[in-house]
Amino acid sequence: MRDVSRSLCAAALMLFLVGCGASGPEAASEDGASGAPPSGPTGTIFSSREGVAVFMGQAAFGARPDDLDRWNGAIAEDWFEAQLTVPPSFMRPAFDIHMDRLTTDGFSGFRIASPTLIFWENAVGAPDQLRQRMAFALSQILVTSASTGTLNGTPEGMIYYQDLLIEHAFGNYRDLLHDVTYSPAMGYYLTYLGSKKADPDTGEMPDENYARELLQLFTIGVDDIDMQGRPTGAGELYDNDDITELAKVFTGFEYAFRARTGAERRERMQTPLVIDEDDHSPEAKSFLGLTIPAGTSPASAVEMTLDHLMDQPTMAPFLARQLIQRFVTSHPSPDYVGRVAQAFDTGRYQLPNMVSIGQGRKGDLAATIAAVLFDREARDIEASRANREFGKIREPVLRLAHWARAFEVDAGPTEYVFDLYNTSDTDRLAQHPHRAPSVFNFYRPGYVAPGTLTGDQNLTMPEMQLVSTATTPGYVNFVDNFILADRDDRDLERIEDRLRRFNVDLPAAPGVNAWVAEYGAELDLLDTPEALIDRLDLILTSGTMSEQTRTTLREYFAAEAEGDGPDTSRQVYVDRIQFGVLLVMTSPDYLIQR
Amino acid sequence: MRDFRPSRRTLLAGLGSSAAILPSFAGVRAEAAAVGGYKALVCVFLLGGMDGHDVLIPYDAPSHAEFTSLRRALAPEASRGRAVLQPLSPRNGERFGSRRFALPPEAPGLKRLFDQGKASIVANVGPLVRPVTRSQYRNDSVQLPPRLFSHNDQQSIWQANAPEGARLGWGGLFADAAVKSGANRDAEAFSTISTTGDNLFLTGENTTPFSVGRRGPTQINVLSSLERRRGRNQEAEAAYQRLRRHFAAQDYSGDNLIGRDVASIMRQGLDSNAAYQAALSEPPQLGTTFPDTRLGGQLKTIAETIAMRARLGAGRQVFFAATGGFDTHSNQPSNMPTLLGGLDAAISAFNAAMVAVGADRDVTLFTGSDFGRTFAINGDGTDHGWGGHHFVVGGSVDGGRIIGDPPPPGFDHAYDAGRGRLIPQISVDQYAADLGRWFGLSGPDLDAALPNLREFDTTSRIMV
Repeated sequence: MRDVSRSLCAAALMLFLVGCGASGPEAASEDGASGAPPSGPTGTIFSSREGVAVFMGQAAFGARPDDLDRWNGAIAEDWFEAQLTVPPSFMRPAFDIHMDRLTTDGFSGFRIASPTLIFWENAVGAPDQLRQRMAFALSQILVTSASTGTLNGTPEGMIYYQDLLIEHAFGNYRDLLHDVTYSPAMGYYLTYLGSKKADPDTGEMPDENYARELLQLFTIGVDDIDMQGRPTGAGELYDNDDITELAKVFTGFEYAFRARTGAERRERMQTPLVIDEDDHSPEAKSFLGLTIPAGTSPASAVEMTLDHLMDQPTMAPFLARQLIQRFVTSHPSPDYVGRVAQAFDTGRYQLPNMVSIGQGRKGDLAATIAAVLFDREARDIEASRANREFGKIREPVLRLAHWARAFEVDAGPTEYVFDLYNTSDTDRLAQHPHRAPSVFNFYRPGYVAPGTLTGDQNLTMPEMQLVSTATTPGYVNFVDNFILADRDDRDLERIEDRLRRFNVDLPAAPGVNAWVAEYGAELDLLDTPEALIDRLDLILTSGTMSEQTRTTLREYFAAEAEGDGPDTSRQVYVDRIQFGVLLVMTSPDYLIQR
Repeated sequence: MRDFRPSRRTLLAGLGSSAAILPSFAGVRAEAAAVGGYKALVCVFLLGGMDGHDVLIPYDAPSHAEFTSLRRALAPEASRGRAVLQPLSPRNGERFGSRRFALPPEAPGLKRLFDQGKASIVANVGPLVRPVTRSQYRNDSVQLPPRLFSHNDQQSIWQANAPEGARLGWGGLFADAAVKSGANRDAEAFSTISTTGDNLFLTGENTTPFSVGRRGPTQINVLSSLERRRGRNQEAEAAYQRLRRHFAAQDYSGDNLIGRDVASIMRQGLDSNAAYQAALSEPPQLGTTFPDTRLGGQLKTIAETIAMRARLGAGRQVFFAATGGFDTHSNQPSNMPTLLGGLDAAISAFNAAMVAVGADRDVTLFTGSDFGRTFAINGDGTDHGWGGHHFVVGGSVDGGRIIGDPPPPGFDHAYDAGRGRLIPQISVDQYAADLGRWFGLSGPDLDAALPNLREFDTTSRIMV
């Protein structure tokens, strides 16, 4: 079982209860981050609501307002340890409910959108925030994509696959690699499903796709790097012969059974693949210094392969650096990478409150994510804010999820949020969960943005790949539909029409309110514009709002308030708040996260 | 427009070249680029690695028989049988003796362009540091491009002569040279335009690519609303100006480099999108319907931009479009015809539009891809290769020719890197150099943009 200190009282297992682990100053300061969080045997104290906001922006899909109050003054480790025990929100049960609502067995845009909608529901409302965030990060490393093809048309495959990532999010990477290898989604996506041993008569050879991307993207990377993620100069870790040899291992993979009906086709996308021994290469396979003897059983060959890859020294820094990029900063220091790599490598990490996380086996993801989040470089906000190179561009998906949580949007009726059904285009979010354009994800971990200040410093800045003169206005237009949404704008008939076209048996009425934010707390502050701006800074930009954006907001609120009178309708005030939120969410302050 | 000067040293660092330092840009002024009139290069990048073996098909009976016997599952009669192929009669056909070549049935447009002399096929082109023979490749005795067969690295090497992490692409460097010699005086922002997110190819030292969505430039809706009202009174004007400054991140002066980069892109986006939109205020008549596909949309946007070149004030432009799906490890017999058919339709429409707007002789479209693929098949697909065959299309192409020597079908020929992956005969630098020469670049300009060019013979011509 997990080696979590039992000094946590049971109440901490229920999310967001403060009291039992908290110690340190009761009245935490609210005026800005106050240096490195006090940490030591008591733990990492959130010394301000800003500190909570920063942490939740890294570890969750953003803070909800009540998080900020509840966790202010409490210790971050308590939140983290509690999160490790919250039951996972798997996608399959929600998917089954969606499918029950379909009135057709044939094509339906709703069927195809279902995994997307469940993703958003979980991102915005699930209690296992850290697990969901980790699964989302893993989906950007162990990439399969439903942008086209069978994974698009048969969403069961993606549901099953994402549930593997959710299941193993705090487990072990070795176990995850096993399940991913046997998943129909990966077999389909990287085309080893149906790959057969070499045929000397026809000259046919095994498919090399999975072999190559497994090494390049999922395990060890192309170049030799040290534990801090720096190139050693020893060059490339494998050559094409390693690939062609390794390709022999992934031969003979098939669906678990033949499918004759639509239902069977869907079922087999959720059943682990099997290996047909007759199609599996009987030859010896020699790669990366390992030789799998001829005639080794297919299952053993796969296990030996995955074990051998786990043994490679570059795996820890290769994955560590990418996980830091997903959660905290795009160009981490080599020392930070080294500390996280160490946690992955040893399978353990000691939190600042002295609690040990992890089972002690290489590849422990709970230990690794603990190292990512609790490293001093992640938690010393004052130092990181003084560092001009620290931080990351907020992923488009996270920009929207953060808004929804900050304004307490009810994630329930996500089925009605038709704008979310397809967000890939540059004039939308330029990112769609689980629909990367290729196995190389939405952006590359090693991407250095040409023609930029960060590029000039050779900083890797993956999400910059999605920031362009096309996507920045596209994002503004897309997100204003959400921020500025009012019930009165919603057309019941259009909702009914859409549901009918999607063959979904759902009442239209809940669609009128779907994802409409109330902005109640902000409306209360309209008479005190500075306080309102402070609140927006806290919940959206975690205290980093620039003077320019503040000035813009001040001028905007002041100009709008000139016409205020006793007859001014509530809608006018709602519009004003909405627009203020839009201004913040379209400022460079919000588009970066630090 | 920008507040920094990046260094060029990465141009040389990428491939570990030990060459002498190349002359600085100041030195090339002596032989400036020719920038009169209008010229545009349009790169259509095929993501995933297009199988050239499945595009330039051996047609003479013995070669075709060899091809189909070795690629049986990928060469069904219905799509690759001699009866349905489109045999080519290249103007330089005597070069190939009794060998003949054909295009697949799904490429009627490219066939027509080839016959009209407006398209040529460049055979076996790929990244090279210097020429390499088969035995040198097997002995590892000559420097090769790094990270062969890796998608992202090869895409980067094709576009920028260095693996992932590269910062300057030769398309951008070509534009740099033109701008430095006086092109695009009032339209520098539109020197390089991408219709897909990726901008590496188009990034030069001094030119920053403008990204436009595949449906054209994007206006910020809330800003447009205020713009429509701005004339009403002083308050409305002030509101518009305030919002415009916000969306342009005009006053942003944070310290953080990432924030400043984002602010720069926002600023450039607002200014460029507005200028672009203004030029597009009367949509040009292209006289042709583009296919409703990702590539069709991109080439339509590019055609519209070229159509309004006078309004934009542009004299030398480089464009970049990309389309995916070419990584045919699986399902190649069904996917390739669709992919190629889509490419064919989009390029044909584009050429028709260029003719319609009188720019056919001034615009050259060329394809590129991560790599070619193995000749050997893996059941129903192919794996990563190296050299591949590509198209160059336009009124100034010395068309109707096959440039280079397509290797024979099968294995163990002089260019076989194993499993029928091709060692390139023509380097990307050579390919790019002739396009650059046509674009107006001088010898020194080309050497500066293509660091390994001096290793190769540059007498062959693609362009007139």
